[in-house]
This record gives sequence, structure tokens and C-alpha cells, in this order.
Amino acid sequence: MKDLKMELSISDLSKYLGVTVDTIERWVRQGKLPVSGKPSDYRFRKADLEKWAAIHNIRLNFSGRESIVKKNEADVLLSQAVQNGGIHFDITGNEVKSVLKSSIERIFNIPDDFKTDLFERLIEREKAFSTGIGSGMAIPHPREPLNYLNQPLVAICFLSNPVEYHAIDHLPVSVLFLILCPSLKLHLNLLSTLSFCLKNSQFVDFLNSRPEPGILIEQIEKLQATCLV
Amino acid sequence: MSPVINCIKGFYYRLFQFDDRLLLIISGSIAGICSGLAAVALRLSLESVLEWLHPFRQYAWAFIFPAAGALLSSLFLEKIIREKAGHGVPEVISSVSRYGGLLRLRSSYSRLISSFLTIGSGGSAGPEAPVVMSGSAIGSNIAKFLQLNDRQRTTLVGCGTAGAIAAIFNAPIAGLVFAIEVILGEWKFVNIIPIAIAAVAGAQVSQSIIPENVLFTHHPFDVGFSDILPSLCLALIAALVSVLFTKALQQTGALAKKNSFPFWIRAVIGGSVVGLIGMFFPVVLGEGYHYIQSMISGGFSLGLFLSFAAVFAKILATAVTLGWGGSGGIFAPCLMIGSLTGIVFHKILFMILPDIGCASEGAYALLGMTGLVSGVMQAPLTGIFLIVEITGGYETILPLIVVSSISSTMSHYLEPASFYFKELIERGQILRPGTDERILSDLNISELIFKGYIKVSENMIFREFIEILKSSDQNFFPVVDEKTGEYKGMIEIPAIRKYALDPGMYDMIFLSQIMDTDMLTASPDNDLQEVLDMMEINNIDTLPIVDRKRFVGMISKTRILDLYRRELIMQTSIR
Repeated sequence: MKDLKMELSISDLSKYLGVTVDTIERWVRQGKLPVSGKPSDYRFRKADLEKWAAIHNIRLNFSGRESIVKKNEADVLLSQAVQNGGIHFDITGNEVKSVLKSSIERIFNIPDDFKTDLFERLIEREKAFSTGIGSGMAIPHPREPLNYLNQPLVAICFLSNPVEYHAIDHLPVSVLFLILCPSLKLHLNLLSTLSFCLKNSQFVDFLNSRPEPGILIEQIEKLQATCLV
Repeated sequence: MSPVINCIKGFYYRLFQFDDRLLLIISGSIAGICSGLAAVALRLSLESVLEWLHPFRQYAWAFIFPAAGALLSSLFLEKIIREKAGHGVPEVISSVSRYGGLLRLRSSYSRLISSFLTIGSGGSAGPEAPVVMSGSAIGSNIAKFLQLNDRQRTTLVGCGTAGAIAAIFNAPIAGLVFAIEVILGEWKFVNIIPIAIAAVAGAQVSQSIIPENVLFTHHPFDVGFSDILPSLCLALIAALVSVLFTKALQQTGALAKKNSFPFWIRAVIGGSVVGLIGMFFPVVLGEGYHYIQSMISGGFSLGLFLSFAAVFAKILATAVTLGWGGSGGIFAPCLMIGSLTGIVFHKILFMILPDIGCASEGAYALLGMTGLVSGVMQAPLTGIFLIVEITGGYETILPLIVVSSISSTMSHYLEPASFYFKELIERGQILRPGTDERILSDLNISELIFKGYIKVSENMIFREFIEILKSSDQNFFPVVDEKTGEYKGMIEIPAIRKYALDPGMYDMIFLSQIMDTDMLTASPDNDLQEVLDMMEINNIDTLPIVDRKRFVGMISKTRILDLYRRELIMQTSIR
């Protein structure tokens, strides 16, 4: 009840009605709004306004008019995701299927029951369109998000022998970045950061030198900071 | 074809098709004459049946008359005509506001017969609303016969109404005003002329068959300045009684719907109750013109207390008659209750201030009638002109205007929807011409949909989409299932700009990964009002329209504004 006795200023009302202050002043002048106070300082009683809005079939939005902001899930940095997924060396295999299979075996964050399913999904994605992005890099990932994961992970797998991957530039691939995410949004964000990093030729050369995991993560941290800016 | 026929055809076209004023005047006057005949027929047959039944009224078993009448009337309506009982005016208004004035042919006689049975047997109701219903149905069907459009048909419905009211009250101006103020709600030049002609035609028919000048004759009243203040008080009381009457009508109607009796038992119970009330207060029975006459001319015999009780008895009897299955109008009951209220007020006034020097009892009965008519229908002009015309009491015009305006204002303040509109407003069917609701309900979603969008498949790789994007100016791309064609989601250009500017992403993502699946959608069956509410609440400008999982098109605020403006111009133009 106390709430209904509240008085609003002209700028409050302009926010609630979604029109400018000028419009409200014109409506007051034309006698279309219930108003109290002097022309220099109009006051609107909330109870009167509600009655007025009901008669004129106008929607009053006292809770403000900001559009519904889509809830932003906690963003995960690429370096964090790489730490989740791990950096693996000496992946064996001589074609796409076998390297993917042995990569999956090495990622300990994936429950064993899901490994076969994940393998099939990755192969399906490769069949649709190769994920080899050139310069010896590939980003294998499933098309659908993996609901069973609690956190996104990116596994960097260095292959012992370069493998023919049907990449864009037809070069054999020697490094795999597996992106495995519980949601589409995280996937797209990680993918976009990773794609930004891999455009940097110094970083690609650095990767080809098979760096120590600690130094690699440091390097990724530096790069992703420039990406965010 | 011979040149003569061509010439006639050209003449016809120029006279009737291109400029329909003459056509409307001629057909309007025919509607007025026909509805006038209907009104006179009902009035004469009511008079004769009342005369015929009069000798039996003294017996104790007379209370079964209203019961039998209500029974026959409800059986007739439910079984033969299959229409709802009640007075019919809301049906006419709703047909005018939503269906271009379409009314069934059988409505032109159904209410005449059912109200004849109800009122003739003593039910407390008036013959006016039934003749309004049949007059407007006659007008509507004349328009149908002549293949006229909605606007012309609506005008003819108004003509029928005006002719009916003009004939039954012998009051042409009241007919004109009622048709425009209550039924059409639109004061327009093109409406006023044919309706005025129809009102004249109706009144002329009535005068030539029943040769009398005014319905209620009286000696001239001596109304002066001292009557203004008392009439102010009377107006307030009349407003209260109007609201009470309106509420009573609604409550008994609701009560009748709640119980589980079959309609004909309900009608018998209602009729018997009215009959029993009539045993003690014979004034409540029938339309009561006879008693109104005696009140105006000063020959009314009931004392203060009995008159006071009679006000409530009449309200109760009318509410039961109409709510429980009888058929008839509230015009005559309004006049009756109003004149009783006026008389009671006058008696009390003279008891408190014996030498105030006011006009006679009859003048106050007249003012009370105005108060009730204006209050119940919330139609001040109808109240003023009707009373002036049926009593010929132009000398009372000043207090009459005061009472009418105050009573309608007060009752509007207490009960914003008048008796005629209450039900319609609840059903959302009252759409006056030129209003926002009217335009929104006329504009169809299908008229506003923008079609011709390029659809993309959810399995499309992003690079392919970028190619489509280069040669298209669409801001939205509906994503559909390749095989079934079902709508899956929407790609909004602003949301994917980030990816579109990064060629590294082109081969990495499919459209199903970047489409917005949470976007609100509307269906072609939604009202425009609902769609606008959706946009307003969620603060969005564009909505996809999806029909049975198929993408149809988009609807945008820009397009709505564009069409809304054109529609407004069309609907508010003179012709």
C-alpha cells in the first residue's frame, strides 16, 4: 500500500513508459496524464498512473525497460581449458582415426564409458568437413556439446608422426587441439580464441618446436590477453 | 448489349455505386419503415393482450401468467430459434463493432415474438430492446440483399435501430440519438443523414397507424429556478438507483447461470417470482406505460412508503424477468423505476420542506426517468431527447439536462462500463470505430508478415553462409532442418558479427552452433495485440512467425507502424 503512494518524477516516468521527457511534457500539456505539482516540477502518483494506464490499456513497466540480457555463463580462459585438458606428447598413429583414438585415451578428464561415443562424434565431424586449419594444425571437436563434462577442456596433442588430415593447405598435421565443452557458448568462445592464437605465425613456429608444457601455457596466457583487448 | 441498358447501367453506377449517399438514404428509409412497422405491431399486440388478460388479474392464481409467458418465450428462443435470451442490444453492438453489422434474418422477428410472450403475460420488461434488435436485423438484411459493404451495412443497422425507437416511442430525435450514441458510437456525417431519415420514416409509420402525438400526455409543468437544486439531488439519487439496477441485473443473470436447472424450469421459477411480486405491487407487471402516464399526469395513488418499496420491487422483478429466461428490454423498466424514484423524491422533499415552491410531482417523475435512462445506459443525450419527446415537456429542458449529465457522470464514476457494454467489454468485443483496439483487431498478422527470407540449413558450414551473406541484405536468416523443413532457430547478423570477421572460424562452425534457438516466436493465429505485447514486454523489434513448425516470415515494429498508419487514415477518413 505504501508503494502505491509513491510519487514519481518526470524522468522516472519517461523510463517506465519508454518515451522521452518531451513527450511526457506534451501529454501533460494536452491533459492526457494525471499530474500534480508545478510545471517546473511535475509529480506523478503511482496509484493514479496505474488507474490511468488500466483505462487506456497502456502497459506500465515499473521494473524498468532493459532488454533481457542473456545470462552470460562464466567464461573460461583458453589457458585454463588447456590445463583442464592437458598437453600430451608422442601421440602414436598414422592416420586420422588412430591418432584421434590414442589422443582420447590420453585425456584423463573423460569418463571411460564415454570415450567410444566421443570418438564416433569426432570422426563424424571430420567426415562432414576436415578440421585441419592449415600449417600442420587441426582442431577436432564434436558438433554437439558434451553434457557430461563439468568444465570445458582443450587437449593439445603433439603427434609423433605428421598425419595426412585433408587440411585446407593439404599439409600433414602434427598438432591436434581437441575442444570438448559442456556448452555451445563456451565452445564458440574457446574456438574463437584458439583461432586467434593460431593466426599468429610466431606462435605456430613456437608450437612446432614442441615446447615444455609450462612455457606453452605461459605463452597462451600472453596471447589470449591481447585477444581480449 | 443495347445502348439504353448501358446508359441505365452507367446512370445506376454514378448514382449508387460511386456515391452511395442516395442509396443509403433510400434503403435507410425502407429500413426505418420496416422496423417502424415491426415496432407498431409489437405495441398494438401488447396492448390488446394486456386488455384481454386484464379481467383475470384479480384471481389469486394470476401469478402463473408470467410463469407461462416466460416458459413459452424461453422454449421458443431455445428450441425454435436457438438464440440466447436477454434483451439483444449487446448483440447488436457487438455485431456492429466486430462483424460489420451482420445479423441473422430470424433475429428480425424472434425477439418480437419472445418479448410479446414475456411482456404480454406480465413479465417486467420493455418492448424497446426487442424492436431495436429486430429493426437492426431488418437493416442488416436489407444491406445483405443489396450486397452492400460493411460500412454501409453498419449504417443501415443504425437506420433500423433509429426507425424502431422512433416508432415505438414516437420520438424521432431519440431514435437518431440512440442509434448513434449507443449502437454505432460514431458521429459522422455519412451516418447521421440516413439515420435521421430512417427515424423520421419510423415515427411517421407509427403516427399514421396510432394517431397520438406524444406517448405520455400531461398538463404543462411550472418549472423554475427553484427546481435546479432539488434536481441536482435527484440526479445523485438516480445515479445510485441506476447502479443498483445494473448490479441487480448482472447478479441475477449470474445466479441463473450458476444453478443447474434446465432453462425452462428456470423460466417458470422466474416467471412465478415476478407474478408473486405482481400480486402485491401490480405496478411492476408488464411494461408499465399505463402507470407512468398516471404518475406524470399526477393521478398516481400510491403513498410514499409503497412507492419507495415499489422502486425495489420493480428492480427485482425486472432483474428476475430478464435474468431467468424472459426476453425484453430495460428501456421501459428504466422509465418506470425513474418515475417512481422521482415521485418518492418529490414526496420526501415536500415532507421536509412543505413550502419550497417546486414543480409538481409529474415533473419530478419526468426528471427521474431522465436520470435513470442516462445513468443505466450512460447515454446522456438519449436520456434528454427521449424524455422531452415522449412527454412533450420541453419546458423542463433545463433541469432535464442537469439531471441527465450528472446522473450519467456519477454512474460512470461508480460503474465505468454501462449495462449494455459490461458484458461486451469483458469479452473484449467492444471496438468503437477509430480506436486503437479497433485498428489492432482489424489488422491481421498475415497482412503484416514480411516474407521472402532466404532460409539456410542447420548443417551448412559457416564459410558457405558467409558467401550467402555477401550477396544479401537480410538481417535475419531463419535456420531450418534440411529434411523436414522445420524451423530450428534464427541467425541474427549482429550476434554473429564476431565470427564473421574471423576467417579462422569459417570452417570450424556449422550454423546449428551459432543460431539463436531461444528467440521468441509468434504464430499467424496470434492477435496483433498479443504480438505487440510480446514485443513490448521483451523489448524486441522483430519476431519470427512460425506456423506448425514452419517458418512463415518476420513481423517487425517498422512494418506494423507503417500499416497501422495507413489503416488509421483509412478508418478515420470521412467516407
